[in-house]
Amino acid sequence: MLLNQFLLLSAILFCIGVYGVIVRRNGVLVLMSIEIILNAVNINLVVFSTYWGIGGQVFALFIISIAAAEVGVGLAIVLLIYRNRRSIDIDELDELKG
Amino acid sequence: MTVDPTLLLAADGPVTFPILPALILTPLLGALAIFFVPARRDDAFKQIALLTSVVTGVLSIYLLTAFETGEAGFQFVVDQSWISEFGISFHLGVDGISLFLVVLTGVMFPIAIMGAKITHDIKSYYGWLLVLMAGSMGVFLALDLVVFFLFFEVVLVPMYFLIGLWGHGDRIYAATKFFLYTMLGGAFMLVAIVALAILNQRGVGGDLTFDLVQIAQNQAISTEAGRWIFVGFAIAFAVKVPVFPLHTWLPDAHTEAPTAGSVVLAAVMLKLGTYGFVRFGLYLLPEAAHWAAPVMLTLGVIGIIYGAICATMQKDLKRLVAYSSIAHLGFVILGVFSITTQGIEGGILIMVNHGIATGALFLLVGWIYERRHTRQISELSGLQKVAPVFAGVFTLVMLASIGVPGLNGFPGEFLALLGAFQTARWWAVVAVIGVILAALYLLWAYQRTFHGPVTPGNEHFRELRWSEGLVIAPLLALIVFLGVYPAVMLDRMGPSVDALVEHVDEQVDDFERVEITYVGASDIPEPGHDDDSDGPASDEHGEEGE
Amino acid sequence: MSTLLAALSQLAPDPGYSTPRIDWHGLAPEIVLSAGGALLVLLDAIKLERAKAWMPALANLTLLGTLIPILTLAVEGSTRSLFGGSFVVDPMSLLLKAMFLVVGYVVILLSTNYVAEGDYWESEYYTLLTTSILGMVVMASARDLLMIFVALELLSIPAYMLAAWRKGGRTSNEAGMKYYLMGVFASAILLYGMSLMYGVGRSTRLDVIAENLARPEMQSGVPIVTLAMVFIVVGFAFKVSAVPFHQWAPDTYEGAPTPVTAFLAVASKAAGFVALIQVVFYGFYVRPDIIEPLFFVLAVASMTVGNLIALRQTNVVRMLAYSGIAQAGFMLAPFVVVGDNFDSALSAVVIYLVIYAAMNLGAFAVIIAIARKTRSAEITSLGGLFSYMPGMTVAMTIFLASLTGIPPLGGWYAKFSVWSALLGAETALGVAMAIVMAVNTVIAAYYYLNIAKTMWFDDAPDGDVAPVKVPVGLTGAVGIALVATLVFGVLPGLLTDIAAFGPVSAALGGG
Repeated sequence: MLLNQFLLLSAILFCIGVYGVIVRRNGVLVLMSIEIILNAVNINLVVFSTYWGIGGQVFALFIISIAAAEVGVGLAIVLLIYRNRRSIDIDELDELKG
Repeated sequence: MTVDPTLLLAADGPVTFPILPALILTPLLGALAIFFVPARRDDAFKQIALLTSVVTGVLSIYLLTAFETGEAGFQFVVDQSWISEFGISFHLGVDGISLFLVVLTGVMFPIAIMGAKITHDIKSYYGWLLVLMAGSMGVFLALDLVVFFLFFEVVLVPMYFLIGLWGHGDRIYAATKFFLYTMLGGAFMLVAIVALAILNQRGVGGDLTFDLVQIAQNQAISTEAGRWIFVGFAIAFAVKVPVFPLHTWLPDAHTEAPTAGSVVLAAVMLKLGTYGFVRFGLYLLPEAAHWAAPVMLTLGVIGIIYGAICATMQKDLKRLVAYSSIAHLGFVILGVFSITTQGIEGGILIMVNHGIATGALFLLVGWIYERRHTRQISELSGLQKVAPVFAGVFTLVMLASIGVPGLNGFPGEFLALLGAFQTARWWAVVAVIGVILAALYLLWAYQRTFHGPVTPGNEHFRELRWSEGLVIAPLLALIVFLGVYPAVMLDRMGPSVDALVEHVDEQVDDFERVEITYVGASDIPEPGHDDDSDGPASDEHGEEGE
Repeated sequence: MSTLLAALSQLAPDPGYSTPRIDWHGLAPEIVLSAGGALLVLLDAIKLERAKAWMPALANLTLLGTLIPILTLAVEGSTRSLFGGSFVVDPMSLLLKAMFLVVGYVVILLSTNYVAEGDYWESEYYTLLTTSILGMVVMASARDLLMIFVALELLSIPAYMLAAWRKGGRTSNEAGMKYYLMGVFASAILLYGMSLMYGVGRSTRLDVIAENLARPEMQSGVPIVTLAMVFIVVGFAFKVSAVPFHQWAPDTYEGAPTPVTAFLAVASKAAGFVALIQVVFYGFYVRPDIIEPLFFVLAVASMTVGNLIALRQTNVVRMLAYSGIAQAGFMLAPFVVVGDNFDSALSAVVIYLVIYAAMNLGAFAVIIAIARKTRSAEITSLGGLFSYMPGMTVAMTIFLASLTGIPPLGGWYAKFSVWSALLGAETALGVAMAIVMAVNTVIAAYYYLNIAKTMWFDDAPDGDVAPVKVPVGLTGAVGIALVATLVFGVLPGLLTDIAAFGPVSAALGGG
């Protein structure tokens, strides 16, 4: 079985996602990086579910739907910020000293 | 001692009235009443405070009369389960060691309330004072480690506000310093308490308990653990006493506190630490206390000498008295950690008598400040000519503080030195210097303040008022009475102290109990009789005529 | 019609499948809460202007109504296991559910005037709040990674929106955005950990995972176990704002509407802790060699860094944020002895959580009340408070004293139970943790004291000492928190009796 290769793929995707979250400055691109991490998660779950039964696939379905809701809210907030500031660069969010 | 948790029984015969909880609850109820009376009724607060504190004082004196002399164990015991999960219960009791501290608390608070005037935020002032009284009572009565800790911490808050709201000068700095120092000690003490209870449970088996008496009797923890736990307790108590390197909060707190605050701080609060050393050091952890005795004795002696030297150099009268407290409490530490019957008895005597004498001194200094709005020694001069009665009272109290035979300061210091001389000879020898220094700084301060020419500003120094005389009269009476007749205290505390030393003797292998050859506590040559015709006595008569 | 039925019968499950029996009583709290939430959405959708005024009352009624089945379940006192063990109703979970509901109730009391007077969408606010509380209530029973994840998202997503709720408020938007990005990133990491844990634990159910992790061949040489646990714990560490995953908290707390901040600082953080309790005490406790050092580092870092930064805050909300980080460190401390003192550690975390909720919520309630007059959250603006709001000053002093840990207020008992769990374990880590905690308690005392000092001793900065009228809802909120803080301190037996979860942990083989 190609378990290791799948896990490696998901690990690479995870790393790409984390890298994207850390270096991207554009709010929408950060959201996309997070989606990449979630895809890595889904690959893991589906691969493991070939061993341990249907639970992993169900989990993956839940993640897909909840991630959609999450991104919906995220885009709404990004839109809100764009309306108020005309920019979605998260580095410019500096009114609160952080 | 068997304890019936449902009934409130004394050790001997039923006393249906739960006097010990009443001692704590009465001031607490007073505080509650003050909280609910609307703030505009300014006059009511002092009356409520006075009423409840006097009732508490009367109860404490009743306790003194009902106390079974010659009994070593705890009396009037009350044991009510509180947090059964952890075996914590409201276990209260008094023995000869705590009895006089309870009475001292009961007596000093009404006097402090009567003796000091306050001009703003009257409501919270009296409320906090009563909470403080309840907390102090609780500390002396608690026989459960957690309950003890509870009261030990509770007294912090009212004291913080008393200093911070009604103090003088740099009051907020002093209050914060006081709070943080004591908090530091408290945090370590709670860790030590929890560790002690758990180790005790591991040692004995059975349920977890925080009961002081049970843990002290079991002595189930290892030597090394016991020593670490002692260090945890010792930090907390050393801050409260204060013992030498941890003393720096005291001069600030004392000096900046309002008069009533200084009085109760000196008379009662400082005793929480020394009492803690006796009860939670010697009784609870005898081996560790014996192990730490050389260090504690050294710190005590350093405190005596250091306090005396600092007091000599002070320009502020109140600060001088504050430093003298450090010296006096050094004697308590010296006596207690000599671990002899005489030394411990002496330590307890000093606790009580220092409370009376220094409390009175703070009252007098407070009254000087009310009249002159300064406490600088250099600005006061020739007061004796303007206010002879005031000066007479001051002389008597000052001589008591010096430890002149015939007044109450003497028997304690004498016994503490006597006890220390048995087991810690060289420490005692050095400590004697402190006695001489005490005479030096107090007499010198008296001379500068009351003798000399009447400088401008001091011509209209008001004589002692009748009301003030009435407030301080009980203290003067006690100063003389306990000076000539200390046996009234020694008889009651003797058995308990003997039992304590015996307890240490049983639990500590390399401890050698030193027996002194004289006959018994009540047969101490009463020092006062030789000096009846001495100066202080005549001053006292002068005061009574006033 | 008949063809439709025929088509449906085609879809019918195979004969081996039987409809699961559902324990409606056990699910009743969630059902009532969902129904209430749906009703709120409905009322909002038909846009009845008159209904708008009733929204907070209706939301409150929903929360109180949910307490009824919780009470009946508590009276019954049995442990119910639903959905094949993924959803467990036991005394501890009921206590936590009740806590979330009461916290929600108090937050709605805090919000009513704030939201009505400020520039906010009113009706949706209560819907979102109720939904978020539903997520927390589910979390208290979740014993399955999937269930925990769903509950976490259910409580988080409305919270992201609430943080950004002020109309056109740039700081509020920024707070929402920061919270959202951090939260989503954290849950992504958490999910990655969960997917790995599913791989090594062979199931999403925590009890099965524990069984599998406990097998001898899994005890060493499987780095993926460590990796999975670290990712999961880190994911929740964001949620509870533990150092070094705390950066979002102060900004979000400062920028969000203050009632929402109270909700985030108390309920949301508590929910994160509940999730940590579930995964650690029902799953990962079999590997204390990984869990204990991990939590030691998190706890020490949180309490120390949180306290040291809190020392130099000038804004009271930011100070509470950092003090909340330090308090999170205190709550993480019992996890350090999960392998050696299971029962005490579990009850210590739960007790601390409940008491922390009471006292911190109280502190926020007072701040909201004060801000009605001062319009500021700077510590200096609290000067002279005693002269014009004596009641609130006394209340705030009690909350601060409780946070400091002065008996006989709730906070001391929380610390006491943590200390007894730590020292009872008799491990080097436990003792070290206890000492670090003692030192931190004193540091914390300083900045709490500083606020008390300002309120009592300083003069009002603008010299205006006219008495301020506080709305009934706010007074009620402060009152509830005050009573809870006092009662838990004076009669902590109540709390330990309710949280009598010994049998549960015994059934799991812990302790």
